[in-house]
Amino acid sequence: MRKINNNLSDKIRDEIINFIEPDIYYCYQCGRCTAGCPLANVYEYQPNQIIRLVQANEINSIFDSNSIYLCLSCEICSSRCPQGIDIAAIMSYLRIKSWENRSFKEKLIAEFYKAFLKIIGIFGRSYEPGLILNLNLVSGKFFNDMDLALNILRKRKIKLFPEFVKDRKKLSRVVKKYL
Amino acid sequence: MKKEMEKFQEDIQLGKIAYFPGCSLNSTAMDFNVSLKNLLKFLNVEFEEIDDWNCCGTTPAHNVSEELSIILSARNLLLAKKMDYENILCPCVSCYCRLLIASKVINSNIEPENKMQESKRNLVLEELKNMGFDINQKLDFRVYSIVQFLLLIKEKIRNKYIEVKDEINNSREIMLLKSLKPVCYYGCVLLRPGYVTKFDNIENPTSMENVLKEVGIKSLNFSFKTECCGAILSLTNKNIVIELSEKILNAAQDSGANCIIVCCPLCQQNLDLRQSQINKYYKSNYKIPVFYISQILGLALGLSFKNTMIDKLFVKPDIRI
Ligand code: SF4
Ligand code: SF4
Repeated sequence: MRKINNNLSDKIRDEIINFIEPDIYYCYQCGRCTAGCPLANVYEYQPNQIIRLVQANEINSIFDSNSIYLCLSCEICSSRCPQGIDIAAIMSYLRIKSWENRSFKEKLIAEFYKAFLKIIGIFGRSYEPGLILNLNLVSGKFFNDMDLALNILRKRKIKLFPEFVKDRKKLSRVVKKYL
Repeated sequence: MKKEMEKFQEDIQLGKIAYFPGCSLNSTAMDFNVSLKNLLKFLNVEFEEIDDWNCCGTTPAHNVSEELSIILSARNLLLAKKMDYENILCPCVSCYCRLLIASKVINSNIEPENKMQESKRNLVLEELKNMGFDINQKLDFRVYSIVQFLLLIKEKIRNKYIEVKDEINNSREIMLLKSLKPVCYYGCVLLRPGYVTKFDNIENPTSMENVLKEVGIKSLNFSFKTECCGAILSLTNKNIVIELSEKILNAAQDSGANCIIVCCPLCQQNLDLRQSQINKYYKSNYKIPVFYISQILGLALGLSFKNTMIDKLFVKPDIRI
């Protein structure tokens, strides 16, 4: 993983403190966020630990663990925090910062995002067959989910050919900026 | 809030709702799309698909850049505006969240809360302007999820049901419905806070049940209504989805249900399409059909298996279709 320097780490922490309401120092480590998180048992750091790590300015440790990448943005944590802390928004924010600094640790997820956005850049709409093919090539597991793919084809529950947005030129230009 | 509802109902009577299907409904969730469109037509709810709509960017865009996610979604809103619509129906829960957030950023009456939000808003508006949209006009978008929308047209559903009830009594479709003991599954994001108008309880919602009651369908209690199925991790971290979705199937079975009614394409896929993988992995024997709420409502009002696309389910109900 690409480490970020201290200045940037400070900046990320400060932005979280200044712009995401309420103040993360209200967290009293009750662990309710973690108790409801569907991914707690696969996370390397739990949601309450992430909050603590931000307070301690350990942004690199967060970028280097799987939690922010796997987070589903389901918001169970935020909705249940007795202090009203928006943990999900903080996770999202950290994830975006990690992407911007090319520190994304979960490589397959990063590849998926890239492939997806590339397809949107080309067609303007998603195109599943292209996406899955791309992903299976990258992961080297070419036969991943072949059983399901066959089922889907048998039922014709998919569009085999991509659809194009007519006015997609300007759209593509914007998407490319973020790739 | 109440006022908003009233205004909305007026709009619907005037036949003013734009329909944003999104990529899932256009492809792997075509059964949701077709059954919902047929249901709305049958109820005389007028709607029009947004012309030349694009992908909302869903999780990948949102996880890479908030601005990108908002720009992609806002383009669809502004296309609707060009067709003279400001009420948008987004059946797909993921699209709904993205379009809703975009509306909260570009609507004219929104004041950014801090500098970061303000610069984000300006950047988004600038890009939209570059795309050729008029961003100086007054914008007042209201984005509706499928469940909210069904609640709003509840009366129409009730009246139609009373009208057709006696004619359709002996059809195979109704036989199927009579054999069902459903639980309603809302999934994780539909009702979560932050950006959602709180039209229902977050921890124990009942709006799907309430709509289904109008057509005489009773659902069982279910403690997993808003647990997460693993959503889009199905493409990259399959094992997590298999584990989470198994828990939901298991809980449904424990509640005494023989089917699940859902309102989100990703939930439907993870529970239905992946059920065979779940069974293989856990050596279990689940055989729980997972219907879209639009399919069940359609059947209850007399639409055929064909018009509700029941044959597209991977786990088939017990009746021959
Ligand atoms: S629920 Fe809120 S207060 Fe409790 S540990 Fe999590 S973030 Fe801190
Ligand atoms: S939003 Fe992320 S961290 Fe919060 S409960 Fe959901 S998966 Fe866990």
